[in-house]
Amino acid sequence: MAAGAEYADVRAVHEDRESLTVQDQRVEGVARATSRGVGVRVLVEGSWGFAGTARLDPAHIAEAARSAVAIARAGASLRRRSIELAPLDVEVDRYVTPHSTDPFDVPVEDKLELLLNATAAANSVDGLAFAKASCDAWRITKWFVSSDGARLNQTLLQVAGGVECVAVDDTQVQARSFPNSFRGYCGTGGWEDIVALDLAGRTPRYAEEAVALLRAPPLPEHTGTVILDGNQVALQVHESVGHPLELDRILGYEAAYAGTSWVAVNDVDRLRYGSELVNLTLDSTTPKALGTYGYDDEGVPAGRHTLVEQGMLRGFLSSRETAPGLGGDVRSNGTMRAESWGAIPLIRMSNIHLEPGEGSLEQLLDDTGNGIFMTTNRSWSIDDKRLNFQFGCEVAYEIRGGRLGRMYRNPTYTGRTPVFWGSCDAIAGAEAWEVYGTPNCGKGQPSQLARVAHGAAPTRFRDVRMGVR
Amino acid sequence: MIAEPQLGQTACEQLADAAFDAVNEAAVDVEVVIHHNVEGLTRFANSQVHQNVARDDLAAAVRVVLDGGRSGVVNVHTDGPGVVARAARDAMALARMAPPDPEFPGLAPAAPTVAVPVDEATIAASPENRAGAVRDVLSEIPDEYEAAGAYRTVASELAVFTSAGQRIYAPGSVATLTMVVMGPTSSGYAEGGERAMADIDAAGTAASAVAKAAAGHDPVDVPAGSWPVVLEPPAVATMVQFLAYLGFGGRDYLEGRSFTAGHLGERCVDPRLTVVDDALSPLGTGLPFDYEGTPKQRVELIRDGAAVGIVHDRHSAAKAGTSSTGHGLPAPNTHGPLSMNPALLAGDGGAFDDVIGGCERGLLVTRFHYTNVVHPKETSITGMTRDGTFLVEDGRISAAVKNLRFTQSILAALEHVEAISSQTAYATEIFEEGGHFPSLRLPTFTFSGATSFG
Repeated sequence: MAAGAEYADVRAVHEDRESLTVQDQRVEGVARATSRGVGVRVLVEGSWGFAGTARLDPAHIAEAARSAVAIARAGASLRRRSIELAPLDVEVDRYVTPHSTDPFDVPVEDKLELLLNATAAANSVDGLAFAKASCDAWRITKWFVSSDGARLNQTLLQVAGGVECVAVDDTQVQARSFPNSFRGYCGTGGWEDIVALDLAGRTPRYAEEAVALLRAPPLPEHTGTVILDGNQVALQVHESVGHPLELDRILGYEAAYAGTSWVAVNDVDRLRYGSELVNLTLDSTTPKALGTYGYDDEGVPAGRHTLVEQGMLRGFLSSRETAPGLGGDVRSNGTMRAESWGAIPLIRMSNIHLEPGEGSLEQLLDDTGNGIFMTTNRSWSIDDKRLNFQFGCEVAYEIRGGRLGRMYRNPTYTGRTPVFWGSCDAIAGAEAWEVYGTPNCGKGQPSQLARVAHGAAPTRFRDVRMGVR
Repeated sequence: MIAEPQLGQTACEQLADAAFDAVNEAAVDVEVVIHHNVEGLTRFANSQVHQNVARDDLAAAVRVVLDGGRSGVVNVHTDGPGVVARAARDAMALARMAPPDPEFPGLAPAAPTVAVPVDEATIAASPENRAGAVRDVLSEIPDEYEAAGAYRTVASELAVFTSAGQRIYAPGSVATLTMVVMGPTSSGYAEGGERAMADIDAAGTAASAVAKAAAGHDPVDVPAGSWPVVLEPPAVATMVQFLAYLGFGGRDYLEGRSFTAGHLGERCVDPRLTVVDDALSPLGTGLPFDYEGTPKQRVELIRDGAAVGIVHDRHSAAKAGTSSTGHGLPAPNTHGPLSMNPALLAGDGGAFDDVIGGCERGLLVTRFHYTNVVHPKETSITGMTRDGTFLVEDGRISAAVKNLRFTQSILAALEHVEAISSQTAYATEIFEEGGHFPSLRLPTFTFSGATSFG
C-alpha cells in the first residue's frame, strides 16, 4: 500500500498433490508435488497489477509487491475506465473441508494395492487391451489477507479415483470408465470417498462393456429423443450453462482466447434459457462437490445462487470487479479462483447444478418408450459464444419399449444451447441425482485449470441430432 | 521482478547437487529437473488492459529410482537447496513404497546438446515493454472495433541432471502476441511468436486482425456439407498438431492405439505432404532437450505422404528396441512421448493469396476453435470455425460466412491436397510452442453444422 495501491490482497498458498497411476499390474507413476508461493494483487490508478513468486523470503515477497504496483502503473495508461470493486463484508475466518481421513495420511502402499486390485479385476475380462487406474489427492492451504481487513485461512481437501478399461482392435479404440471419465470420481473430502467406490468390485462390468463396444454398431445418424445420463448432463451444464454465464466472458474479457457469450448482461429476467423444467443453481457449498470451498480468492463467502429458474435467466457468475456492471448494489457471488499462488483469480464455476425433477431412471426410461440413452463423456466442443455444441459419449443404448436394448459405439449428439435446453421435457428425481467433478476446466491466459462440479440426474431431450458424421 | 530472470547453469547445478547429496547411496539413480520460468503477460480486452501479471516460478522435480526400477517423484517450487534435498529424501521414501518396474529403462546418459538462440532483451522484458507493444496494437484499432488479446514474454531455463552422467542446461526466450478484433458483425484473428520480442510486429499483427474483421462483416449463411476449402496457417496448425498428437507417439503406437500401429511405411496422406517434428527449427521456439535430458532429434513423421517416424521417450524407445528421440514429458509420465513441434513443410503453391486464387468455389477458414477428438484412431476431430470464415468464388473472397462446425478425419481431409503455399506464418493450437505453417487448399472438407454468427 505504501507504494500507492488503492487496494491490495495477498494470497499465500501451500498446495500438496499426490498422483498415483497404474496400468494393469505395472505402477506407472508415484508422484508428490508441493507448490508454495505468494501472489500479490494490487489496484493502482484503477488498474490491476499482479505478481507471484515462489521465493518466500521477505525480500522477494516485498519485491513481488513492488513489481505488482509497477505492472499496474504500466497498464493504467491503457485503460479507458477505472476498476471499481463491489462492496464486501470482510471476514476473519477459517474453513476446512469436512473429511474423515486425510488422503495424505494413507500409506502409498495401501493406495497402490487398491488400484492394482481394480486393474486385476478388469484384466479378468477376456479381450481387454489394458486397464488404467488412478487416484489423486490435493491439499490446498490458503491464507488470504486484504487491505479491506479480510483474514481468511482455508484448507481444502480434494480426492479423485477411477478406472479406465480400454479395448483395441485394428481400427478402433474403445473405453469405458468407472465411475466416470477423466480421472473418475472427483470431489472434496477424504480417502474414505475413494474406498467407498469399490473400484475392484464394480470395474469388471465396465471392462466387459469396453470389449463389447468393439463389436457394437455405430450410432446411426438420426434426429430423435435422447436421455443423457447424469454424468453427461454435467458436461452439458458445464459447457452450455456454466461458461456462458461467466460475467467476465459476457463483458468481453476472455474474447481473445475462450471467447464471449451468447448471453448479454441485460438478458436477466428476459431470456428464456430452457424449458420450465430447467432450474440451474450456483452452489459453492454443496457437500463433497469438487468446487466447494469456504471463500473465493477475493474473500467472498461461498453461497447458493439461482442462475436459471423455471427456464428463465436470473443471474450470472460474478466477481467484485464485474458485479457493479449489473447495476444497483449487486455484490459478487463469490466465484473468483486462481489455479495457484502464481495466477491472478478469474471467475470460475464452483458447482453448478441442474436441479432434480421427479422419479427414477427406470421410470424415465419407461415413460420415454423409444429413444437413445447415452452415458459418460468422451469428447466435447462448443463455439466461442457457447451456442453450437457437439458431444461424444463412451456408449449409447437403444431405448425400446421403455427398456435399454442394444449397444451403440461412438455416439455423438449436437445442438444449439437455447433450443436444446428448451427441448428438455423430463428430469429424473433426487434419487438419481449425483454430483460429478470436472477436474480439468481450462480458462484464461496463461491457461489456468480449475476443479469444478455439477449435480445432475438423467435428463430427456427431444428432437436431438445424433450420430453426427 | 524479478531481479534474477536467469539463475544460470551454476545455480541450477547447485540445486541439483543438493538432491544428489541427500540420497547419496549405492544403487540409487537420481534425476533432477530444474525448470525456471519468469513470465510476464499483459491481457487486453475491450481495447484496454484488463489483466497484467508476472510470475517467477522455480520448480525442481526429483526422481529417485531404486533397485528393480522402484521409483518415486517429488516436485517442489523453491530456490532453496534444503527444500530440494528434502524432496530427494521424500522421493526416496516414495520409491521404497513402490513395487518394482522391470520396464524401467534407466536414466539419460551424458549427451551433448546444441544451444538455441536466446534474446537478452526478451529475458529482461519489463511491464513497460509489454505495455508499449499493447499500445502499438491498440493504436491500430479503428473506433468501430474492439481488440482483445495477450502479449507475453517468457524467460525460461530448463536443466536436467542425472546420476547416469547427463548435466544439461538451456536458457530460452519467447514472446507471443495473440489477438482478436471484433466489429459489430465480425471478428478477425492474428498471432505472432518469436524467440525475440523485437521480431514481433505488434502493429502489423493488429492490422492483419483488423483487415480480417473488416472483410468479415455481415456474414451470410452457407449450408453445412462437403466443401472445397482453403485452410490458413492457424487452421493448418490445428490439423497437423492433432495429427501428431494422435498418430506419432511411441506409446500409443506400441499399444495399438494410433493409426500408425501396424501401418508404418504406408501412405497415409497426399504424397506432397511432409511433416517433421523439429524443436530446433530456426522458425520455432522449442527447447533443445526433453524432460528426461535427451537431446531432441529432428524426426520425420510423414515423408512424401507416408507415415515413417515415431517419437519416443526412454521408456517407449526401450520397448521398441530403439533410442529416445528426445520427446519425453516430465516424470512420472503416464501419457508417453509427445510430438510437440510438428511442422508441415512449405510447398510450391506461392503466397497465401495464390492458394486462394486457385479456388474456384469454396470456403476459406482462418482458424478453428475448441477442437476435440471424436475418434482417435480414425483421427476424427470436431470444432468450429472462428474469426474469419469466407466464401471464395473465382479465386477471390466474395462474402463472409457464418461460423460452421466441422467433423472430419484429418487423414481423410489430407488424402488429396490441391495446393501447399510456399509462404508460411507462425501459428499454434494445442501446444504452447508454435511453429510456422503453410496454407492448404483441399478438394473436400466436411462441415457438419452451422451457427448464427460470423
